[in-house]
Amino acid sequence: MTKRILSLCAWSGPATVVLALIGWLVAGVLPIPLGPDSSMQEVVDFYGQTRVLVGMSIASVAICLVFPLIAVIGVHMVRMEGRTPILTFLQLITGAATGVLLLLPMLLMAVIGFRPDRNPELTVTLNDIAWLMFITPIAPFIIQNVAIGVAILNDERRTLPRWVGYVNFWIAISFLPDPLAFFFHSGPFAWRGIFIFWLALTTYAVFLVVMGVMLRKAIVEEYSDRDESRITATAT
Amino acid sequence: MTQPRPKADVELPEFLGGATGDVARAPRRAVTPSAGHIPGEAGLWIFLFGDMTIFAAIMLAFLWDRRADVEGFEEASHQLIQPIGAVNTLVLLLSSFLVVRALFAHRAARYVTARRMIVGAIVCAAVFAGLKAVEYYSEISAGHTPATGQFFTFYFILTGLHLVHVIVGTALLAAWQLMCLRRRPWSAVQRIVEGIACYWHMVDLLWVAIFAIVYLVSAE
Repeated sequence: MTKRILSLCAWSGPATVVLALIGWLVAGVLPIPLGPDSSMQEVVDFYGQTRVLVGMSIASVAICLVFPLIAVIGVHMVRMEGRTPILTFLQLITGAATGVLLLLPMLLMAVIGFRPDRNPELTVTLNDIAWLMFITPIAPFIIQNVAIGVAILNDERRTLPRWVGYVNFWIAISFLPDPLAFFFHSGPFAWRGIFIFWLALTTYAVFLVVMGVMLRKAIVEEYSDRDESRITATAT
Repeated sequence: MTQPRPKADVELPEFLGGATGDVARAPRRAVTPSAGHIPGEAGLWIFLFGDMTIFAAIMLAFLWDRRADVEGFEEASHQLIQPIGAVNTLVLLLSSFLVVRALFAHRAARYVTARRMIVGAIVCAAVFAGLKAVEYYSEISAGHTPATGQFFTFYFILTGLHLVHVIVGTALLAAWQLMCLRRRPWSAVQRIVEGIACYWHMVDLLWVAIFAIVYLVSAE
């Protein structure tokens, strides 16, 4: 039973990616999201569509599937760290914060779509808030990735392969340009620019998929080892 | 007679001081020895190449935008202080050399030499950051901020991201210094030390590329 729950939690990582992308596609955030240089009319028209509400409802549920993944990362980090699992707690705290930070912009975008006939300036402002809140708060993500990376590299039992640790460091670095979104209204460093939205989206998706798949592998190996030792124990 | 039970006997989760031992612990994964030697370890290079890819992409975007405004980029790049950039290149190359010497010294268990070399590299990093600060100060006081056109946007972003890498690298060098201070044997820290050295060489390499593209190519 435990194995099944652990596996489900691990699978929730890749599931987050798939379901959130579906939600954003339905909402029209993908393939090309609104940018800081979108005109007032474009923004108002965008939120006038019912698909935004449908898509954001899907995305707001989907994004919360990171929570089970964070829990199963925590379970494995406790095993890596042993008696003083400070990095585990750090990962759980920051992981919880990242989940909330991802969820709030989804809800906010749904709220904007709730009354699209309001004063257009308000819609534009709310859209700015939603996007900048979505893109710029990088510190919890970076701390989470670094905590996971350090725990993996310090783990002598190799619960997870060491390259997963280095991948986490790379993902942490890839979030560094994101606060630049405050400073640019167009170009590659604006919030929908290639080095902001697209880079972070790609690396965060890599994080969810790699952690999910590798944890699932670790769970399967652990339980097969246990079954084997049980069989040998009964045989003798 | 019941004695008060020691804390460790209470059924607490292992991480709160409960029963230790290898309950629920996955066994060590078998390590397959491989022929040849990758500096650091294979996983490290995922990080290094991933990081360099991000920098390369930003440099490509810089060159792409430059095509549309070659004169503007040329004029703007003349506002940079080339000698500072050149000196910083030499300073980082020197630091890389010192890191190599330190690595050889550590491998030969000559801890004092290694520590001297690492201190030298850290001083180089400090000189680099100091010169960078002087350069930023003179540029911003001359009215060239990240908001004054494409060239300076890219200049500040590329050099700023690089500076963050220098700061992280300095922290790593300091950690290495501590290892030498505690005389950690080479066999115990080889992967980490080689990783730190490779990271530092990457920081150096990135600066050489930034210097070539931002300071030199644009000025042509």
